[in-house]
Amino acid sequence: MKFIKENGPHIKSNDSTSKIMTRFLIALTPIICFAIFKNSVIVYSYASKGFIESLHPLFMIIVGALTSFISETLYYKIVLKNDLRTSLYESYRSFGIISGILLALVLPPNIPLWLVSFGSFTGSIIGKMLFGGFGQNIFNPALLGYLFISASYSNLMGSPFNAYELDTIGGATPLSNLMNFNYTGSFENIVSPFGDLFNLFVGNIPGAIGEVSKLLIIISFIYLVITKTIKWIIPTIYVTTVFILTFIISKYIDAGVWYSLFHILSGGLLFGAVFMATDPVTSPLTTIGQILHGLSLGILTVLLRFLTPYPEGVMTSILFMNMLVPLFDKIGIKARNNIRNIIIIVITFILIIIISILNITHKLDKNSSNVSELDSKVNILEVKEDGNKKIYEVTSKGWGLIKADVEVEDKNIKSIIIKDSKDETQWNEIEKNNYIYKVIQNQNNIDKLDAVSGSTYSSNALKNIVKKVKIEEAK
Amino acid sequence: MSGLKLDGKKEMSISSEIVDFSNPSRVYVPLMNGNTICACLTKAGKKVKKGSIIGKREDLDFPILSPVSGTVVDIKKCLYQNGEMVDTVVIANDMKETLVKKNIVSDITKYTKEEFVELLRKCAIKGMGGSDFPTFLKYKGEVEILIVNAVECEPYLTADLMLCKLKAETILDSITAIMKINNIKKCFIAYKENNTIVRDAFMEYIENYNDIVLEPVKNIYPAGWERFLVKKVLGIEYDRFPSEVKVVVNNVSTIYSIYKALKYQRGISKRIVTISGEGFSIPINILVKIGTNISTVIKEIGEYKGENLKFIAGGPMMGNAIGGDNLIVTSALGAVTIISDTEDEINECMGCGRCIKVCPAKICPAFIYKNVNNKEKLKELNPELCVECGLCSYVCPSKLGLRDAVKIAKKKVKE
Ligand code: SF4
Ligand code: SF4
Repeated sequence: MKFIKENGPHIKSNDSTSKIMTRFLIALTPIICFAIFKNSVIVYSYASKGFIESLHPLFMIIVGALTSFISETLYYKIVLKNDLRTSLYESYRSFGIISGILLALVLPPNIPLWLVSFGSFTGSIIGKMLFGGFGQNIFNPALLGYLFISASYSNLMGSPFNAYELDTIGGATPLSNLMNFNYTGSFENIVSPFGDLFNLFVGNIPGAIGEVSKLLIIISFIYLVITKTIKWIIPTIYVTTVFILTFIISKYIDAGVWYSLFHILSGGLLFGAVFMATDPVTSPLTTIGQILHGLSLGILTVLLRFLTPYPEGVMTSILFMNMLVPLFDKIGIKARNNIRNIIIIVITFILIIIISILNITHKLDKNSSNVSELDSKVNILEVKEDGNKKIYEVTSKGWGLIKADVEVEDKNIKSIIIKDSKDETQWNEIEKNNYIYKVIQNQNNIDKLDAVSGSTYSSNALKNIVKKVKIEEAK
Repeated sequence: MSGLKLDGKKEMSISSEIVDFSNPSRVYVPLMNGNTICACLTKAGKKVKKGSIIGKREDLDFPILSPVSGTVVDIKKCLYQNGEMVDTVVIANDMKETLVKKNIVSDITKYTKEEFVELLRKCAIKGMGGSDFPTFLKYKGEVEILIVNAVECEPYLTADLMLCKLKAETILDSITAIMKINNIKKCFIAYKENNTIVRDAFMEYIENYNDIVLEPVKNIYPAGWERFLVKKVLGIEYDRFPSEVKVVVNNVSTIYSIYKALKYQRGISKRIVTISGEGFSIPINILVKIGTNISTVIKEIGEYKGENLKFIAGGPMMGNAIGGDNLIVTSALGAVTIISDTEDEINECMGCGRCIKVCPAKICPAFIYKNVNNKEKLKELNPELCVECGLCSYVCPSKLGLRDAVKIAKKKVKE
C-alpha cells in the first residue's frame, strides 16, 4: 500500500476562492437585472427608443466583462507566453470578469460601448496584470478603469439620465442638485425633486446603471454577509461614518435626519461600500485595519462631497484609500500584538474628524454669505409668465452692469438674451468663446464651469444670473 | 481567542469496544523524546526487563524505559511519527512481563512532593496528549490549580474519551492523590461541552471527591490547547508556561499514567490508540503496547479503503502524513487517521483575512507567508508564537500552505 507523504492539516474548509467569487457574482445578479429593467425595459416601453438601442446597458455589462476576460487572457498568452489553454485557465482563475462587470455598473447609461471597453482594458492590464495579476494589485481594477475613463474622456461619458428620465425628470442628479443648493436647503429643495426618500431607496432616480437601487444593494449585502463572502466590517463602518458626520452637519444647518439619509441613499455610496471597498485583494486583512479603512473612507467621502466640486466622492475615496491599505494593515498587526499600540492612531482619527467637521461648517458659512452676496449682485426686475414659459428680466453686476432676459421652461433655462452690456470691457471674449451657450449647457453644474480668461468679471456676472434664476425656480 | 468549530467525526470510532493488542512479539522504542534525540543505553544481545532503562534524554536526565521484558535484538532506523527515520531499539518480547522491581503501594497519597517529582522522572511519565513533554518538570514549582485536559479537540480522536469512560474513578483517585501531595487547592476537568460521554462518566463519581469540578469548554478547535484552556477555565493569561501562574495542565491519559506510577511505581507501557478515518474499514480504539508497529495490528483488524490515502500519525489537523504505515506507537501517539487526499484548488492569496481572524495565537499567517524570505519583516510578525494548530491552512480559500510557511519563519527567526 502506498501512502501520500505530506504536511498537514489534512482536512480543509470546503470554501474556495472560486466559490467566493461565484457568490460575489450571484450577489451582483439582482443589481444587473434591475439595471436592465430600469434602463432597458422601462426605456423601451415608455421612451421612443428602438429595441437594440434599449439594450445598451446589457451590452455595457457584456462588453465590460468580455473585455477584461479577453485582455487578461491575451496578456497571459502574449506577454507571459503561456499556451492558449493555460492562458484561458489563468484568466478564469484571476476573476477579471468581476472587475469588468463592476466597472459597467458604475457607468452612466448612455456611455459609448468602446469607452466601456477602454476602461475595462486599462483597468485589467494597468490596474492588475502589470502588478503581477490576481492578488498582487494595489488598486481596485474596476475603479482604476473608471478613473481612466473619467480622466481621459469625461465629456463623452454621457448624462446620467436614461432616455425615459430625460423625458420625464431632466435637470440634475440628487447630488449635483444638492451642490447647486450649496449643500443646505430644505427637504423640498433637495429631496422633493426626486419624489421622496423612498424613491432614492428603491432606485427610482437617475444615476449610474448599477448604483441606484439601494434596496437591492442591501439585500445583496445581507446575502454576502451570511455566506461569509465579504469583509462586512468595511462597508458597515464606512456607511456609519458617513451617516454620523452628515448627521452632525445636519444639526449645524438645521436639517432633519432625512439629510443624512439623503447622503447615504444618493450617489454610489452603498454600491461602492459593498462591492468596491470590500474587494479582498485591495482592502486590509486585519480587523483593526478594516475598521480604520472604513472610517477613513467615510471621512474622505464626506470631505470630497462638501469641499470639492465633485459631489460623488465615493470612487475617488476608495481608489485613494487603496494606497493606504498597507499602512492600515501595519497598524492592524501592531494592534494584534497589543491593542494599546494604537492609542495614538485613535487620537489622530478623532482630530481628523473634528478638523473635517470644522472645515465643512466653515465652507457652509461661506456659502450662505455667498448667497446674500448673490442677492446684492443680481436683481430680478420683472418676471413674465407665458404658459409654461417664464421670462426673467434681470440685471447683474460685472465690470459694469449687464441687463438680460432669461427664458425658462420647465425649470430649465432655455436662452439668455443680453439686452445691454455696453459698459462691459472685453465682451468680445465672451462672445468669441460662445460663453453664453456654455453657461446654459452647464446650468446644473455652474460652479464647475471656468470663467473666460481675461473676462472673469463678465463671466461671473453671467454665472450669477444662472444661479439666481435657478434658485428662484427651485423655490 | 479565536478558533473554529470543526466536524468532530468522533462517532465513527466509539461504537465498538476497545480491542486488546498488547502482546506484540517485537517492540520498537524510538530513542526520542518529542523531537529531541536521546542517548542509547543498551546494545543488541542484552536482556532487558519491563522498566529497564534503555535510553536517556541527557539534558533533563530523563530515562526511556523498556515496555516489555525480553532481549534487545537490534538498534536500527525506523519511521517515527514526525515522518523521519530515527534510531530505534528493537526488543524481542518474551511475553513474561518480568518487572525490574515488583511493588504495590497501598496509600498512593503518602508521597512527599520531592518524592513525587522524582517518581515521575524515574517512571518517565510524559505528556500523552501529543506533546511528549516530561511531566515531572511541570510539578517542580508550587502548584495551586490543576487542569485535567479531557478536551481532545482534534477530529476523529476518541482515545481519551474511551479512557474516561472506562477509568473515570481511577482518574479521580489519581487527581486526589496529586492534589494532596502537591497541596493543590482546586482541579478542573475540562471537556468539550457536547461530549456527554466524558461528562456522564465523571458525573457518576464526582460527588465523592472534593474540589474537583467538571468544566465544559466550547466545541471549537483548538480548545484543548494549554493556553486556551487556562484562559477559558481560569480567565487568566500567561507569558510562556502555565507554571508562571501556578497552574499545571495535564492530559487525562497522563493523569492515568501518574496513577500507575504512584500505585505500582511503573512507567507507561500501554496506551489507547484510535484508528479512524474514512480510509479504514473498521474505525476502532485499540489498547496497545508502547513500541508496537501499528501496521501489524491494522492488518489484523481491517483494511484500507479508497485511493490516494494518507496515513496520518495523530489527528488530521496536527498530525503528519508520514508516507507509510510502519509506524511505531509511542506514548504521545493518540491516534492514527487514514483519509483520502483532498483535491485542492490552489490560488494566490486573495486577501480574505480569514487566516488572521482564525489564528488562536493572534498572529498574521498571510503576512508571514508573503514575507517568508524577509527575515527583518518576519521578526515584527512574531511567527514564534504559532502553536501549529493548522487552522490557518484549514480556512484558507486559496488553500495555501500557511502553517508550513509559519514553521519555516519560526526557524528563520530563531537562527
Ligand atoms: S499561524 Fe500557527 S497558531 Fe496561527 S492558525 Fe496557523 S498554525 Fe495555528
Ligand atoms: S486565508 Fe488564505 S487567501 Fe485568505 S488572507 Fe489568509 S492566506 Fe490569503
